[in-house]
Amino acid sequence: MKPVNAAMSSRQDQFEALVRGHSTDLYRYAYWLCGQEALAQDLVQDTFLRAWRALDRLREVSAVKAWLITILRREHARLFERKPMPSDDIDDLDLPDPQATPERSTEESRLRQAMASLEPKYREPLVLQVLGGFSCSEIAEQLGLGEAAVMTQLFRARQKLKGQLGLEDPLAEVSEL
Amino acid sequence: MNCLEFRRHLGSEPGSQRKEFVAHREACPGCSAAQLRADAFESRLLHALQVAAPANLADRILLAQTTQLRRGDLSRRRRFAAFTLAAAASILIAVVAVNRSVQPVPPLSAMVIEHLQEHVVHADDLVDSLPPERVMEAFAERGVKLGSVPAGVDYVHKCPAGPYRTVHMVMPEAEGPVTVVYVVDAPPAPGSSFRSGRNFGREVRMEQGSLVMIGPSDRHFDAIALSWRDALGNAVAEHDSRETHDAFAGALPHLQTVIRPDGAAGSIACTTCR
Repeated sequence: MKPVNAAMSSRQDQFEALVRGHSTDLYRYAYWLCGQEALAQDLVQDTFLRAWRALDRLREVSAVKAWLITILRREHARLFERKPMPSDDIDDLDLPDPQATPERSTEESRLRQAMASLEPKYREPLVLQVLGGFSCSEIAEQLGLGEAAVMTQLFRARQKLKGQLGLEDPLAEVSEL
Repeated sequence: MNCLEFRRHLGSEPGSQRKEFVAHREACPGCSAAQLRADAFESRLLHALQVAAPANLADRILLAQTTQLRRGDLSRRRRFAAFTLAAAASILIAVVAVNRSVQPVPPLSAMVIEHLQEHVVHADDLVDSLPPERVMEAFAERGVKLGSVPAGVDYVHKCPAGPYRTVHMVMPEAEGPVTVVYVVDAPPAPGSSFRSGRNFGREVRMEQGSLVMIGPSDRHFDAIALSWRDALGNAVAEHDSRETHDAFAGALPHLQTVIRPDGAAGSIACTTCR
């Protein structure tokens, strides 16, 4: 028996696939963008609700992640317009990891702290690259920046992280060669 | 690509597959080792960034979406109902407003308007504040003796309006001249306001007769009516001296309408009344 509204059913199926396929990645991105679990969850939900309304405009399935992230960033910007938030209020998550050794857990925690303390202009491209798997040019497009500027920010972001963790500076290493 | 360029690129895009980047790594053991260290760091970084998402996040989103869909349907239905009600109310208001605005001109005023279409006062006929005696004389000839005359009457003439005897006056106001017609023997009727073309009009009961005011604005009607009520309150009606006007019997002959250079209407006075 055919569904009463086949088009509606197919649209709903598409949306469900979208949610199940991308909600976790989007949540992580949202978390590193705003630094609060509850807010990140709201952002993701608002993003998907907006995506549902605009689903007919989605043409390329390959671009779906970038599309969702664009929506999320806009939602986040709207939130900032309504209620400015300090950028340094990311609380350190001490999430249980069953596979983690105590040493590894401590290192992760330090990495997360270091990540949270990064300025948003460094943190955001890094999250897009590491979590989202976007290339520098894609990040540049997302953030409305030049590719060279993005590369500089990514380099500095890693330099700062390594600096906080007491790891070696790759350029200093080169100068010693 | 040299080592410095490689390390810079490694720091910004460790997973790069650019030809020159890969070529340098394969050729340089130091940079190859740096790549391995960078990969290890990236792996730790990725792990650290992968914070756990709330349990059932996808289900929660889908629940919110379906709830919103249902709410949307409900609010659409409510909006439609509200719109229907608002539309009905608007139509009702519009009908009332239209009926109010197209209130028929009272019969007496209609006769006055008809008279004014033929008897258009020429600008040259206006005299700044006529002597009160001239106004009193016009009224006296209509059988009404005024005790006083309101200030600012620039024109006065005895005219017919249908079967009625009138005193036709013009009183200048800021928005333009107001034609004031006192209908001596009009039957008593409740006062009413009306519109005639672009002009405002008002008919008010006054002593034994009625005062009809017509002008580009009704702002001064109250003051004019009050001043004439005062003047007519002191009047002495002389009903026995009423004269019968014969103009009602036929059309008004030999009217010469003249338009003033500034566009305002004017003409020589109604000849039958002279």
